[in-house]
Amino acid sequence: MKTLIISVSLFMTGIYMLKANEMPTKPSCQTTSATLMLFDDFCDVCGCSGNGGSMGFGTGLNNNFIGLRYISQRYRSRDGIFANSPWIDENFNTVQLWTQLPIGKRFMVNAVLPYQFHSRDFADNSEQHINGLGDATVLGFYQILKQTPDSIKSIKPQHTLQLGGGVKMPTGRFDEENLEGSVNPSFQLGTGSWDYLLAVNYGANHRNWGMSLMANYTLKSKNDKEYRFGNQFNYAISTYKTYYFGNDFALTPQIGLGGEYFKKNEEYGLKVHDTGGNAFFGKAGVEVNYRSLALGVSTMLPISQDLNGGKVEAKSRISVYMNINI
Amino acid sequence: MKPLYKLSIFLFLFVIVTSCSDDDSSGDDLTGTGMVKIEFDNSVAGDDLILGSSYTNSQNETLTIDRLNYIVSNFRLTDADGNVYTYPKDQGYFITSEETGNTEVVLVDVPAGRYTSLTFGIGVDQEKYLLGAEGQGDLLTEAESTNMMWSWQAGYKFLNFEGTFTSATVTDATDFKIHMGSHGSSLDNYKETTLSLGTEALVSDDMTPIVHLVANAGNILDGNNKILLTEQAVIMVSEEKSPKIATNTSNMFTVDHVHNGDGSSH
Repeated sequence: MKTLIISVSLFMTGIYMLKANEMPTKPSCQTTSATLMLFDDFCDVCGCSGNGGSMGFGTGLNNNFIGLRYISQRYRSRDGIFANSPWIDENFNTVQLWTQLPIGKRFMVNAVLPYQFHSRDFADNSEQHINGLGDATVLGFYQILKQTPDSIKSIKPQHTLQLGGGVKMPTGRFDEENLEGSVNPSFQLGTGSWDYLLAVNYGANHRNWGMSLMANYTLKSKNDKEYRFGNQFNYAISTYKTYYFGNDFALTPQIGLGGEYFKKNEEYGLKVHDTGGNAFFGKAGVEVNYRSLALGVSTMLPISQDLNGGKVEAKSRISVYMNINI
Repeated sequence: MKPLYKLSIFLFLFVIVTSCSDDDSSGDDLTGTGMVKIEFDNSVAGDDLILGSSYTNSQNETLTIDRLNYIVSNFRLTDADGNVYTYPKDQGYFITSEETGNTEVVLVDVPAGRYTSLTFGIGVDQEKYLLGAEGQGDLLTEAESTNMMWSWQAGYKFLNFEGTFTSATVTDATDFKIHMGSHGSSLDNYKETTLSLGTEALVSDDMTPIVHLVANAGNILDGNNKILLTEQAVIMVSEEKSPKIATNTSNMFTVDHVHNGDGSSH
C-alpha cells in the first residue's frame, strides 16, 4: 500500500516537473475533470453497505457519464470483546455501474447500482463469503451555481454549487446472521432499509486548477429485522490540477482529505454497543482523459479513526474506474 | 427568484420523503413469556481467560489458571418501573465451568418485559443449605461431579479457582487452590451482586435477550482485597481470607452488552 502511495506521488511529482502544456490550445469541454471529484469519497466506512449511504457522489461539474467502478476496501475487526480477542481480516469488494445524467438545464441525476462480493477470514482459518446486489442509490442534484460552457477559456474563477437529495433502496440483502458476535456489524450487502440522503457539493476552477468541497448526510431508517444503522455524515475536500497533452489527452492528479462520522446503530430502538464512530482519511488519485473516455485510480488511507469502539479498523481503500462521457 | 422557488419545492419534497421514515420503537407490546440467556464470559483484566495461559497481576504474581468454576444463583430481573421478577428458587442454582465450557445460564418462563438490571448470588445461600441434603435437588449431584462440594457437612464450594503461580520469591511453578464457600452454617460467604444492564433486555414470546457478562477472574485475588498466593497458596477454610475472596468474587462481574433478538445469534 505504501509503495503504491509513493509511486502515485512520485508519478504526480514527475508530471508536475514535466510541466506539459500549461493550457490547452483548443480545449474540449468534455475532457476536463470529468469524474474527478466523484472519487471524493468512494464509499464509507463500512462497505458501501452496512453503514453505507453516500456512494461517492461528487460534483461532477457539468459532465454526464456512464461508467464502471471497482472499489476494494480492507478492514479488520475484533472477533470478541477482549483485548486478546483475535482480529478478523475483512475485504469488501464492490463493482458499481454508475451514471450521471442531466434533466433539463439545472437538474441532474446520479444513480449507482452496486454488486458486492465481501469476504472475511476468521482466526480459525475459516472464511465467510457474501455476494450479491448492493443497495441502489438515486440522487438528484439542483445546480444553484453552474459553470458556463466556455469555462476553460475563462480567466475568472468558475464556481459550481449543487444541492441534492436522494434515496438508497434496500436492494442489497441484510442478513441478521452476519451480526454474529461482536464482529463488524457492517459485513452486509445492504442496510435492508430505505435511507435518505442530503448532499451539497461546491467546486471552484481557475485555469487548470480546481478544488472541491462536498458534504452529505444519510438518514437511515429501521429495516424489517428491527435493525437500524446509524446516521452518517461524510465530508471531503480535494484539490487537483489538470495537464493537457494535445487536444485529446488530459491528466489530472488530485489529493484530498475526508472524514466520516457515524451515529450508533440501533436494534429494537435500543443503541447497539460498539457501533458508531469516526474516521479521517487522506487520499490521492489520478484521472486520465482521452477524448470522452476517463480512466481513474484513487486510494484512501486512514489518518485517524475510532470506529465501533476500536473494534473495527479501516485499513485501505482503492478504487479504479472507467467512464464514458455522454 | 425562480431558481429559489424550484429549490424550495425540492427541499419540501425531501422533507416529505424523509419524514416518512418510521422510528417508533417496536416491542412496546411485549407479551407472554420468554427466555433470558446469561453468558458468563471469563476473563483476566480485559483479556479472554484461556486455561493454561499465564497472567501477571498487580502484585507481581504470575498465575497460570487451570480451573475456574463458580455457582451463581437466585436471579432477579428488575424492569425500568422497578418491578422485580424473582426466578423460582428451586430451579435457581447454576454451576458455570470454564473447563466444560458450560458458561451460559438460561432462565426460562420469564414474564415479558423490558428489564434494566440483573441481581444474582455467588454461591448457595443458607436458606437453601439448611433445607438439608434432600432439599438440594440436582444441585448436590451436579456439585459433586464438578468439584464444587467439600462434603455435605462442610458444604458447597462457591468458587473453585486452581492453577499454578510464580512470584519474586516463589520461582518454581507452585500449585494454588482457592476454594471459597460458606463453612457449613458457621460462616456465611454467600454474596449477591446487582448489575445495571446499561440498556433494556427485551423478553417476550418471540424475544430472548442474551446478557453478555464479563467475569474478571483477576479480581478474585487482586480486587479491592489483595490476597498473596506467596503468603498462602491453598485457601479453603479461612475465616480471614475466605470472606475477602467472597467479596472480591462478587465484584468481578460487569455487563459488556445485551443482545436483543430471538436468542439464536449472539
